[in-house]
Amino acid sequence: MATLTDNPLLSAGALEALIRSGGEPDWLAEERRAALRTFDATPWPTERDEAWRYSDLKRFAVDGLEPTDGPDDDAVSDRIRMRMTDSDAEGILVHKNGRTIERQLAVREAGVLVTDLRTAVTEHEDLVREHLYAAVDAHAGKYHALNAAFWRDGTFVYVPKNVEVELPLGAFTSADRGGLSMGRTLIVVEDNAKVTFLDEYTSDTFDARLFHGAVTELVLGPGAKVRYLALQNWGRNVAHMQRVAAKLDRDARLESLTVSVGGDAARAEVESTMQGPGSESEMLGLYFGDEGQHFDQFTVQHHEADHAFSDVLFKGAVRDASHSVYSGVIIVDEGAQKTDAYQTNRNLLLDDDSEAVSIPQLQIGANDVRCSHGSTTGPVPEDQRFYLMSRGMPPEVAEHLLVTGFLYEVMSRVTLPKAAEYVERVVQAKLGVPGVKEKL
Amino acid sequence: MSENRLEIRNLHARIAGGVDILKGVDLTVPAGEVHALMGQNGSGKSTLAKVMAGDPAYEITDGDILIDGESVLEMEPDERARAGLYLAFQYPVEVPGVSIANFLRLALNARRDEDDEIGVMEFYTKLQGAVKELDWDESIIERNLHEGFSGGEKKRSEILQLLVLEPKYAILDETDSGLDVDALKVVAHGVNAARGDAFGALVITHYQRLLNYIVPDRVHVMAEGRVITSGDKELAMELDDKGYDWIKNEVASGAAPA
Ligand SMILES: Nc1ncnc2c1ncn2[C@@H]1O[C@H](COP(=O)(O)OP(=O)(O)OP(=O)(O)O)[C@@H](O)[C@H]1O
Ligand SMILES: [Mg+2]
Repeated sequence: MATLTDNPLLSAGALEALIRSGGEPDWLAEERRAALRTFDATPWPTERDEAWRYSDLKRFAVDGLEPTDGPDDDAVSDRIRMRMTDSDAEGILVHKNGRTIERQLAVREAGVLVTDLRTAVTEHEDLVREHLYAAVDAHAGKYHALNAAFWRDGTFVYVPKNVEVELPLGAFTSADRGGLSMGRTLIVVEDNAKVTFLDEYTSDTFDARLFHGAVTELVLGPGAKVRYLALQNWGRNVAHMQRVAAKLDRDARLESLTVSVGGDAARAEVESTMQGPGSESEMLGLYFGDEGQHFDQFTVQHHEADHAFSDVLFKGAVRDASHSVYSGVIIVDEGAQKTDAYQTNRNLLLDDDSEAVSIPQLQIGANDVRCSHGSTTGPVPEDQRFYLMSRGMPPEVAEHLLVTGFLYEVMSRVTLPKAAEYVERVVQAKLGVPGVKEKL
Repeated sequence: MSENRLEIRNLHARIAGGVDILKGVDLTVPAGEVHALMGQNGSGKSTLAKVMAGDPAYEITDGDILIDGESVLEMEPDERARAGLYLAFQYPVEVPGVSIANFLRLALNARRDEDDEIGVMEFYTKLQGAVKELDWDESIIERNLHEGFSGGEKKRSEILQLLVLEPKYAILDETDSGLDVDALKVVAHGVNAARGDAFGALVITHYQRLLNYIVPDRVHVMAEGRVITSGDKELAMELDDKGYDWIKNEVASGAAPA
């Protein structure tokens, strides 16, 4: 059995150096130290842990990796430049190996804050202090604590009451060398405010192995509307561990999309807590594994309040000895009556070497609720393949169409056309559709 | 004699591992002609159609299928299509998330050289022409392939594809079933629009009424996995009148040609 082991570089001394380098306030230093204590006291997950049973744990190992505090080259890559232009964003940060290397902040709406998280700690201390670590508990697990203690760079977004940010904001996280990096995103959206955030992880493939830990905390005030898109398209030498957690106050609405296509292995944990009545969380996910990739997704729809709605739709395809895991749970607390919660996972197996595991679960503590879950896993329907081929399409073209058609159910629900187009191109490039790669 | 024909020789086929469903089918459709294929439920018409198109669910145990003199037995379904064969399915398949326009563009490009993709304008002109020919609303091309289509709409879609892809030989498997008279006329009009010296069709139907609109050059009758007799268009009318037991008796007694 594979076991994960400690990394001596994640030491108290290293943490103190990190705290000093940022000139961080005491409360944050204390939070980090407490997280490190939890980290040290918590065993690494094993295959015996339900939440990790089907994961390829060793691919998320951090031992032997050196925490990085910056890239070899501070330049923003062409790939990211293109994405910055294409995404129409009015506020963009670029992080690379733990350092924020670019800030393009032309946000027009008054009072909106977009900055890197370490700057925010000093410049907007009260706001950060109030919300940091609130949506993702630093002590809830080994990797939670790891990130909470050692996060180095990240993004902070604050949208005040009633402000609607028209164009997207975004962060591009990148790397040009291996090691261990940990980033954190905190997005606070006040009452009836509105924002879209693109969180992209992308790099060219380089020699050494990189582990990147990403945590996103989304705090939605009453009536807030947030669209959040996490697009993981790392080079093939990267292990990506991401947790996206949202807290939704009364009548808030979140639309999230989590895409996993890059890297060697990626785990995406997406959690929404409906804390206020009338809140709504639509959680979409898409993954496409090839060449031995391992994608692991985990969703939590936690209904604390009554009359709230949540809907998970995660769809994925695997081929060339790749693996995917989906597990998800709907938790309805006692008293969360009139909950509407749905969870769907569908997997397409493109060959016999690949595997998709799907484990939907319900934990329902209220009696007047509407909840359903469903999952399917199977190959491309033979009758569809034959039909397309009978029109003259070679098998590979038929497969392109069937995979993109399968994922369309997710893509058609993404309300951000430009981002949706980009995701489609990324998937098509992976599929080998001619002429697409050049346009990325 | 011209080689331009679709030819089935002594064809035997079965579901992989099962017993033969087709038990020696002989049938030839010369280019420029439209033939009708009739027969009772379960006589093997759809099996014949799908076997010709290369459905991997079936295996051929004997005989041959030839397009213009070339055997297609070793060809995959897509190669047969590119060689000029088209099957309008009795039960067209739904393909979620794939629009008709995108699908047909890719299907057309699959027939062309890689560096000779059809131009956007040329494609839409062609597609819209076909949509018009079928008296259909233009918005149909953005719908996903057969997703939520009514039975009649699916049949119409099969003819739309036929008009766009312009095959040499088409097999229409009960494209008339489930159509109201207006839709039937539209479908017949579509097939007649494709008619010409370079086009041959095998029209599978249970109903004489279709043959009023698509007048066949020959009529073949299938029973128990074989073509038991063939005749001219009058045969379809007689069949309509007298039924399949009559024709089986005629063949058995030697009154009709076997
Ligand atoms: N995939 C299959 N699995 C099992 N049996 C099959 C299959 N395909 C065809 N058969 C059998 O082969 C016989 C011929 O079927 P086929 O569909 O070719 O008939 P048909 O002439 O098209 O009938 P209909 O007029 O009802 O469309 C039937 O007995 C049918 O049950
Ligand atoms: Mg049939």
